[in-house]
Amino acid sequence: MPETAGQTFIHTPTPGLPEFDYIKPASLTAASQFLAEHAGEARPFMGGTDVFVRMRDGFWTEKYIVNVKGLDGMNDVTFDPTTGLTIGASVNMNRLIASLEVKEHYPLLAEAAHTVASYQLRTRATLVGNICNASPAGDTIGACMVLDGTLHIHGVDGMRKEPLSTFFVGPGQTVLKPGDIATAITFPIPPAGYAAKYIKLGRNAIGDLAIVGVTALGFPDRGAPSGYRVRLALASVAPIPLVPTQAEAILAEKPITEATINEAAQAAMDASTPIDDVRGSARYRKLMVKNLTRRAVTQVWEQIRE
Amino acid sequence: MAFHRITLTVNGEIELVDVPSNMTLLQLLRDKLVLTGTKNGCAAGECGACTVILDGEPVNSCMVLAAECDGAQVITVEGLAHDGTLDPVQETIIEQGGVQCGFCTPGILISARALLDRNVDPSDYEIRDALVGNLCRCTGYLRIIDAVREAASRAS
Amino acid sequence: MVSKEMASVKIPDLIGKSVPRLDARDKVTGAARFADDLQFGPGLLYARIKRSPFPHAIIKSIDISKAQALPGVKAVVTGKDFPGFIGLYLLDRHIFCRDRVRYVGDPVAGVAAVSEEIAEKAVELIQVDYEVLEPVLDPEFGASPDAPLVHPDLSEYEVVPFILPRAGTNISNHFKIRKGDADGVWNSGQCAAVVERKYRVPHVQHVPIEPHVAIAQVNEGGTVTLWGSSQSPFAQRNLIAKTLGISQSDMRVIAPYVGGGFGSKAGVSMEALAVAIAMKTKGRPVKLRLTREEEFYTVFVRQGLVAYFKMGCDENGRLLAMENKFYWDGGAYTEYGVNMTRAAGYSSSGPYEVPHVKTDSYCVYTNHPVSGPMRGFGMPEMHAGLEQCIDDLAEAIGIDPAEFRKINCLKTDSILVTGSKMHATGLPQCVQEVIRAIDWGRKEPPSAPHKRRGKGIALMWKAPAMPPNAGSSAWVELNEDATVTLGVGGQEIGQGTFTAMAQMAAAALGVPYDWVRVAAPVDTQYSPYEWQTVASRLTWSMGNAVVNAARDARRQVIELVAEAWDEDPEDLDIVAGEVISYKSEESISLKDIVVYGLPKPNDSGWMGGPVVGRGTFMPTYVTGLDPETGQGERAVVHYTTGAQAVEVEVDMQTGAVEVLRAVAAFDVGKAINPELVKSQMEGGFVQGLSTALFESLQLKDGVLQNPSFVDYRIATSSDAPADIHAIIVEVPQDDGPWGARGIGEHSMVPTIPAIANAIYDAIGVRPGPPPFTAEKVYLAMLDAAIAE
Repeated sequence: MPETAGQTFIHTPTPGLPEFDYIKPASLTAASQFLAEHAGEARPFMGGTDVFVRMRDGFWTEKYIVNVKGLDGMNDVTFDPTTGLTIGASVNMNRLIASLEVKEHYPLLAEAAHTVASYQLRTRATLVGNICNASPAGDTIGACMVLDGTLHIHGVDGMRKEPLSTFFVGPGQTVLKPGDIATAITFPIPPAGYAAKYIKLGRNAIGDLAIVGVTALGFPDRGAPSGYRVRLALASVAPIPLVPTQAEAILAEKPITEATINEAAQAAMDASTPIDDVRGSARYRKLMVKNLTRRAVTQVWEQIRE
Repeated sequence: MAFHRITLTVNGEIELVDVPSNMTLLQLLRDKLVLTGTKNGCAAGECGACTVILDGEPVNSCMVLAAECDGAQVITVEGLAHDGTLDPVQETIIEQGGVQCGFCTPGILISARALLDRNVDPSDYEIRDALVGNLCRCTGYLRIIDAVREAASRAS
Repeated sequence: MVSKEMASVKIPDLIGKSVPRLDARDKVTGAARFADDLQFGPGLLYARIKRSPFPHAIIKSIDISKAQALPGVKAVVTGKDFPGFIGLYLLDRHIFCRDRVRYVGDPVAGVAAVSEEIAEKAVELIQVDYEVLEPVLDPEFGASPDAPLVHPDLSEYEVVPFILPRAGTNISNHFKIRKGDADGVWNSGQCAAVVERKYRVPHVQHVPIEPHVAIAQVNEGGTVTLWGSSQSPFAQRNLIAKTLGISQSDMRVIAPYVGGGFGSKAGVSMEALAVAIAMKTKGRPVKLRLTREEEFYTVFVRQGLVAYFKMGCDENGRLLAMENKFYWDGGAYTEYGVNMTRAAGYSSSGPYEVPHVKTDSYCVYTNHPVSGPMRGFGMPEMHAGLEQCIDDLAEAIGIDPAEFRKINCLKTDSILVTGSKMHATGLPQCVQEVIRAIDWGRKEPPSAPHKRRGKGIALMWKAPAMPPNAGSSAWVELNEDATVTLGVGGQEIGQGTFTAMAQMAAAALGVPYDWVRVAAPVDTQYSPYEWQTVASRLTWSMGNAVVNAARDARRQVIELVAEAWDEDPEDLDIVAGEVISYKSEESISLKDIVVYGLPKPNDSGWMGGPVVGRGTFMPTYVTGLDPETGQGERAVVHYTTGAQAVEVEVDMQTGAVEVLRAVAAFDVGKAINPELVKSQMEGGFVQGLSTALFESLQLKDGVLQNPSFVDYRIATSSDAPADIHAIIVEVPQDDGPWGARGIGEHSMVPTIPAIANAIYDAIGVRPGPPPFTAEKVYLAMLDAAIAE
């Protein structure tokens, strides 16, 4: 177990991975059953990029590591002009980024995925894994939320769907239950005339975790008083990926001007509840929510009003 | 702990090995197959010294379980040269002076080879982006970037 | 034909030629062996270390019984087993803690087992009972009489004569400069401008990409072999042998290629742990390999610094006086770190001529990680504040900062802070070169409306900091085919020293470069003595030894041929592997002479034989300094000087700093291999940039908060500037080989202040201590009401 000195945690991972048994079930049903039967001592993995790190750290001590990659069509990217996009849970981020359908219809997904770590890590990392990992800093979660993604879950009772809006419970915590395996995420056809942007502030120019991440997706909407709707999602500024609804409401209701954007940015800042950590202070994070929300919304607005 | 009998191809050689569940591909390469060109710099997927090509794509071999690699094709730095002829990225990194201590070099070369395999004419930004996961503490990167650019131009 | 005059006077063509590195091919094919790559067979045991979780505590008891009982465990050792002290300049450290732990990570016990996993489990089974003590977490407080003592027995420790610990305090070295009368200058009001500043520099890590690894084996007779990633095979042999009470000849260190050192693999850090454990494993080799996380907090770190500067100049901008006070956060043990505080003291004026200087440099024990040498050896930390302060003083007197530096920088024959004269130096030329190359004074428009640009300049100087009598040696042996085997004890750590040495040997001997092989790995049993691969001293010191060895071999060959041809040795030369006579125009291939010698006429016997040249070098002229004034005849062997300038862009909405381009000019005396020299300038700049923008060991109550690459960020390929323009200045060193002096460390010394000054130029605000993170810069701008 990780060592502590009094109340202070000391990060002392082991040189290698702890002992566990590697399990590769033949089907989703078998996988769900195994995971449910070994609740608390079995963990599914996709890319493993977070699982292995946490096991070395001693945070996760499962006896069984269950490879759920490549089961029953989880390795596909499919696009249907009427129903939208499906990304299988095993699809790695580099494949996602390279997908022509993603590039053409959902470039925001590729843009966000591209900011994750490094190319070689993205060979292993998956979009669905990034979501299920439920890090408040997850770079792709915001994109999935503003694109209205739905997770497809295989559990002991069969398939079900989970909207992302209610999926996250806390840092690393989701509504998934023992036996649940996310098999894919689907996205509807995006709104006509939309534009979107992910702005990430990290320590390095490329490749770092987000100190703050802002995702914005805007589109013309006659139903909105302003004529537009802008969906927003914020990373690293709350225990779960945060949707600043007040800011969205301001942009829907008031004619979009520089002042309105500023007001929305301020509302996003007010909605955020970041913490101080080694990557940045809460104060700075809040200020950056404001500045980067303004920047992201302005860029989106400049594109959609044309 | 369970062992798994796997067959994989490494640098064109077919290998049959028994690996424990918790063995990483990096440990398999270094400790069982004695392919020590692939380096262990952090065991956390951060430094890139252990980068190898797995089924055509670069991965951090410390982040892959050996047991997953049944049937896989792996290329390590030892597999870049053929019959004594260096890969263009190996040649150009020597010429441009992109090697100092040499510990990050195997991972850099693998990332560079993989980049040129998927993009024959990368921009400077694309080269830098492709190498972000390969930390180098000696060179300051510029000569490595020059080497990748030069290797690309030589191929075209 | 080459004329005799040309050959003897001219610098050989090979010197100043950028030949390819001789280790490159092995390094690109994966063939190069590093310590962790060596194979020891199934008998190899694996070590792990039980470490202190507290920054400061008394060890009340250690129970190793459960660990010993674990199947697969072969040895468990504690401090009880090893009473000796170890250390380079001040013996203040045991191999394993005996009665007290002094930092989080201090080794308390060691385990050897048949696998790393079992060793790790055994470590968890060791129970240590501690009595927690109040830690010292700040060097300024640590130096005060109120601080608890980290080393109550300081007065009893063995120490070299030039280090001055203060008994009954936490001050393990106090170095003083009293040159002229700084107090008198302040009191007289002669200064037209005076600035006083305080700076903090955080701890940083070396971050070699290869973590520390050591493999030790102790045979039945008690002789020890250590294989390790080492900058200092001979120093390790010496220090570990002394501690264990064995002869240096019974301790052998074998050091293959080093995957980055930067000082972290100098002296002794974790190597002694492996040796100590191996003493209890009955002949089986033991490997200790640090995890990346251990690498961050258990091996040498670059110490923190709290620095006070007071500087004054006259109305023409001429520096009159400086008063500097340095509190170095030396950490738990300062056996090596003490000498950095001395180096900072005798360099405390920076590269400037200042008539009146008062300096107090204190090495202070704290309960932080152990300070050790890191690229620049105290100079990057000291220059970080000094060169910002110079900018502020220039501004206060209303002179352009580059102009101010031109006025005050050291010139040949300037009087140094220690009272002696500066040797020939190209520093003024370096300043000129960077001013020109960065287009000083021209402000470029920013790349976006929310960004601002600025330029900054900083100078540096640094001497090799080492004992006055650090020596080098080399041998040169000719093989049957006239290829040359060159024996050296200095280490190839990436800087290219094997290549430079091969060039020098080839040039001095008269053979092509690619005829020279370096006898590697360095092995203290066969390789010639070298003090350590540190201090940027190899090109100069080991280079002199290599040249001497090659000339010795050359002399042997020429005397032989002169005798055979009945000619004057003065008329002979070796060119491209042929012995030639300028007089008779005879020639003979080296391969026809070396090893087997030459036949005497008429089958009357043989002359000559195997050719082995030997060479040594040790400076003999470094004197002591007065302990009260720091004045003396010659404090150091020489100083390498240089300058950097950078252009940065600051994002007014986030505070993010981007270094757009950099220029660097250093006086290297003579560049033996210009591309390798430039490579050092580039690599050092980016390492400096990394410490300026990203790096700090975030210590909270003595516990490191960011011991991994996830949160200890270093510069990546995306952070290097678009261009680093490296300029070589060559004003020869009188006792350097062909005039050469070192460059390895210097290239990162001025980088933090150059970037800080550029940020100030861009936004008019100084963001506080490095690293200049986006957050720090933004909040500083917010305070100044200029942030967007």
